[in-house]
Amino acid sequence: MNNNEILLRVENLKVWFEIRKTIISQPLYVKAVDGVNFELKKGETISLVGESGSGKTTLGRTILRLYEPTDGKIFFEDKDITNLPFKELNWYRRETGFVQQDPFGALAPHFTVYRILEEPLIINKIGTPESRKEMIIKALEEVKLTPVSDFINKYPHMLSGGQMQRVVIARALIMKPKLIIADEPVSMLDASVRIEILDLLRDIQRNHNMSLIYITHDLATVRSFSDWIFIMYAGNLVERAKTDELLNNPLHPYTKALLSAIPDPDPTNRFKLREAPPGEPPNLINPPEGCRFHPRCSFVMEICKKEEPKEINIAKDHCVKCWLYKEG
Amino acid sequence: MADVVLKLDNFSVSYKTQKGSLEAVRNVSFELKEGETLAIVGESGCGKSSLARGILRLFPRNLEKASGKIYLDGEDILSLKEDIFRKNVLWSKISMVFQGAMNSLNPVLKVIYQVAEPLIVHMGMDKNSAFNRAKEMLSFVGISESFAERYPFELSGGMKQRVVIAMALVTHPKIVILDEPTSALDVITQANILNLLKILKKELNLTYIFITHDIATTSELADKVAVMYAGEIVELSPSENFYNLPAHGYTMMLLNSVPTLKTIKKLKSIPGSPPSLISPPKGCRFHPRCQYVMDICREKEPPMFKKGEEHYAKCYIGESHE
Repeated sequence: MNNNEILLRVENLKVWFEIRKTIISQPLYVKAVDGVNFELKKGETISLVGESGSGKTTLGRTILRLYEPTDGKIFFEDKDITNLPFKELNWYRRETGFVQQDPFGALAPHFTVYRILEEPLIINKIGTPESRKEMIIKALEEVKLTPVSDFINKYPHMLSGGQMQRVVIARALIMKPKLIIADEPVSMLDASVRIEILDLLRDIQRNHNMSLIYITHDLATVRSFSDWIFIMYAGNLVERAKTDELLNNPLHPYTKALLSAIPDPDPTNRFKLREAPPGEPPNLINPPEGCRFHPRCSFVMEICKKEEPKEINIAKDHCVKCWLYKEG
Repeated sequence: MADVVLKLDNFSVSYKTQKGSLEAVRNVSFELKEGETLAIVGESGCGKSSLARGILRLFPRNLEKASGKIYLDGEDILSLKEDIFRKNVLWSKISMVFQGAMNSLNPVLKVIYQVAEPLIVHMGMDKNSAFNRAKEMLSFVGISESFAERYPFELSGGMKQRVVIAMALVTHPKIVILDEPTSALDVITQANILNLLKILKKELNLTYIFITHDIATTSELADKVAVMYAGEIVELSPSENFYNLPAHGYTMMLLNSVPTLKTIKKLKSIPGSPPSLISPPKGCRFHPRCQYVMDICREKEPPMFKKGEEHYAKCYIGESHE
């Protein structure tokens, strides 16, 4: 497989949710995703990092066409899937997998593990009952729920959180998709199993040469995980770079603040205060004019309050949306 | 040397369940000096919240037995009568910030009233002076007067957490128990709240018991760290030793599973899951998951060994034994 091929391209994507206060007034919009551009190559992993309410989950779900985009384009293998009607989306659903945040809510409680994994195969009319069983056993082996016979006839409530999340991953995997979107796959799990699940996801992604978008608010877990880190703030991607580049040379003031706010296990931390910008992310109905981070930014200039910065290419594989920097 | 304000001696809590008795907290002993912060870390279900609530006598209905001794300023508070405990200890000496409390604020009451309520109800203050003190406390935690008159839905997550902290502090307690005070917050808000807690501790000379499952945030507050596993404290150490010289197999493995930004290391998770507390494993309760397991661990429960200055661990590693 050619690894330079672009699998997913998102152009100026906007997702606005309409809310109406009264019948007379103009409709208001929550601008959850507001002008997002990026490309994802085959076999690559992106970590999408942002605070809650920054629009990262909306972006992920819109790419899967679970939400309707308001404007912009989504291309999957050069096919425009932005406005495909529901009925013509079946092939796309087969090519994409979704790992939800909450494994406790993602599995039907009255289905056995076997039935949960068989469901997508039945819907997509794949295989005979016998070949399906083989595929299910293989998928369970791949997520290391072994011995398979111990798990295959269990109901979700009989499993631990980590095991449930493995079943969710197996379900996302069973159609052999080209793209998996994992929305905070470990945030509901205990610290001791998080690493295990992340390692599993990465191994599977590498073995199958899949592309993966990993949505998280926890920058500490991404270092060993992804090729790219995208930082999202108030509906915009404010910085995009290769993982090492972003961690070693963060440019956007928000990225810097995020990095310095992450606690490191160091016993001397208790003697000092951390630098953290005050305030909270803005209201997305009426975001601040200009750069959306300017009310919290310590480098704020006049222009930041008036005009929205454009995304510029600072170096190869490093884009930032900030007035502090110039192209080239 | 600062005085010991809180001392637990063989404190145990057990619950009645359909399958039998469940010992959620087992023989916990520690001492806490004035102005010190003790962090209690462990996986979910290890008993850390049961321990914290047990200190405040906030037991669930299926409580079977709470035994041992809890000394506050030298007085055993576990044997106090319920009404005396409520009057003299609860909130006025020890208070608590509950896990997820920011989402349990009463939506139809102004925040100032909610902060003043413990003063009116527990301390018998009149309304005016209670409101004044609540206002003071709110501005102390960084909430301006205009926000004091608002309802919880008008505040952001970080501000609600500040309100909850103000509620716990308004009665001027000596000891504050913080149960996962930042677990639902974003990293930047979390850093702000931790800064606030550090400032409050210094200015008010507070003693904290800080409960968390997040090893990395532990270092932000803790002077001492108690690691809990399956209802027991398995290691108690000054925080320098906790990070640099872990003595218990569980602590070592726990530290190896923490992802960090600055160092690149191979992370290892802990296989298996915590044991059932109804029928815990024989010997050391951690032995089925421990990578350093020895024969003796399967047979005999390890006692608390002294591993260094104020450093204790229930583990045979590094001990001579037959």
